[in-house]
Amino acid sequence: MSNKLCIAFAVASGISLHAQALNHKIDFPKDSPVSLLSEDFGNSNATARGANLIDVNAALSLRNSGQKRIRSMTLMVSTQDAAGKGSVSVPTLDAGPGETFSVHISTRLVRPLTAGNPVVEVTLDGVLFDDLSFYGPDLLHSQRNMIRWELEAQRDRKYFKTLLAAGGAEGLRKEMLSSLARQGDSSQRGVQMVRGRATNIDAEPESQFAFLDIPESPVEASNGRARIGASLAGAPQFEVRNRSPRAVRHLEIAWIVKDQQGREFLAASMPADMTLAPNQSGPVAQDAALRFDRPISIQSMSGFVSSVEFADGSQWIPSRGALDQTRLRQLVAPSPEEQRLSQIYTKKGIQVLVEELKKF
Amino acid sequence: MSRHVIETDLALYAAGDLPVWRGAVVKLHVRGCAECRALVEALRVDREELRRSADDMPAGLSKDFDWDQLAAEMTANIRVGLAAGECVTPRERKIAPVSWRPMAIAAGLVVLLGGAWWLNIPRTDTETIGRALRNIATGERSGPPQEERGPVVGASSAGVVLVENGGQIRIDQGGLEPVMYSVSTQGSASARYVDQDTGQVTITATYVQ
Repeated sequence: MSNKLCIAFAVASGISLHAQALNHKIDFPKDSPVSLLSEDFGNSNATARGANLIDVNAALSLRNSGQKRIRSMTLMVSTQDAAGKGSVSVPTLDAGPGETFSVHISTRLVRPLTAGNPVVEVTLDGVLFDDLSFYGPDLLHSQRNMIRWELEAQRDRKYFKTLLAAGGAEGLRKEMLSSLARQGDSSQRGVQMVRGRATNIDAEPESQFAFLDIPESPVEASNGRARIGASLAGAPQFEVRNRSPRAVRHLEIAWIVKDQQGREFLAASMPADMTLAPNQSGPVAQDAALRFDRPISIQSMSGFVSSVEFADGSQWIPSRGALDQTRLRQLVAPSPEEQRLSQIYTKKGIQVLVEELKKF
Repeated sequence: MSRHVIETDLALYAAGDLPVWRGAVVKLHVRGCAECRALVEALRVDREELRRSADDMPAGLSKDFDWDQLAAEMTANIRVGLAAGECVTPRERKIAPVSWRPMAIAAGLVVLLGGAWWLNIPRTDTETIGRALRNIATGERSGPPQEERGPVVGASSAGVVLVENGGQIRIDQGGLEPVMYSVSTQGSASARYVDQDTGQVTITATYVQ
């Protein structure tokens, strides 16, 4: 009897589970400044389990085949019929012409069962160079993020070099320890963002936003409000005014939530594409809701302007001084470059970090 | 008369308890059969002896004695005795004999159904069902459904995920825990990872189409 059951189970397994090697396609434009040296999709596969489960585990070895130093790169990962797009970015690169670097992709895609083998496509969305010039189709609007990462990297390297010049290696070491302590103290919560009229947020009471004004910010936000429910906050709206002499085309507001215990954390960012001439004001309303993965009773909300993009494509980000003058330092995540440098300090020591800073 | 009347009928005949037509038949036989007649006489003598013995019983046990009440009292006393005995004597549990075959069949079915579920139901669906059952059991709504009517992006220590139109994309960067993660109201979620050896930072993201 048990033998028959084993056979039946084995047959059922054979019929139902047929993991197969993944068909993949890496498509870089012919004039791409990045070329593929080697690829390893060894652990990738596609399995039919009620749906197509596509596990992409790939290691790509790439070369800077252009003439400029590459500061960051974004790859887009997608498959036909799958939900949305995914991306993998490396924001802290410093790859000179001819130099190589690697990117690791670990992604799971689920798509409805369809005839034929699924094909995963990895394409280049963008490359940012050290002069802030950009190459790529930018389908994911990654250029904006990559420029911001590079501006933050330049800002933080300059800050650390200043510390090094003023206080020597010991001054830099103290700041690194302080940075590592902040990184360890930061609290985060799992959060979901639902777009559209997908929740009952309209029935919830409205609450005011308190905006933290950064004097150097080219845009001022005010009159913010959002609806708050149980472990839910949504439908944010506020007004912004361009107080700079340059036209603005995009801005981002950081959304901070405080719970009943007084703990604050950065819940989400609220980007807005809008054209604002100098001294012009305008409303922003977001049709979206935040939901937290654990029950939370929201006591209050606040926000601040975290970045502004001008009409010419240049950007403003808060200086370290501006962040230090407010309580934002505890809330704002360190830049990718600060995390890279602090990791170098942790693993290799202060002298290697000093040498790393001297490269820039 | 070739066959004798059975002894039971003779006893009933002797006591006058046979039905009329059967009594007539037996009476006819007894008249012609010396052996049966002798047995009937013996039965009548025994009956007389019993009646005399009853007359000799102690005073208080009259002919109108309530025998039913006596039987009920005796039954009750026996039960009380048995109950008292159980109090002082450890009860021996009867263990039903266990057959390995039904258990093997049940275990096989569990394995088969579990395997079929694991093979055919996506993990996310299993998680959703589990979450719904937990919410029903606890009576609280601890976590939102993965997708209600619109696309949902999420960021947590498990990475980033987008659920839309029954499809899903999840990026977890090989099981590493992100050093930070966030969502944006424009429909994207991102998570940042730091390579412990090289310090290289990788940022993964999902986007609503």
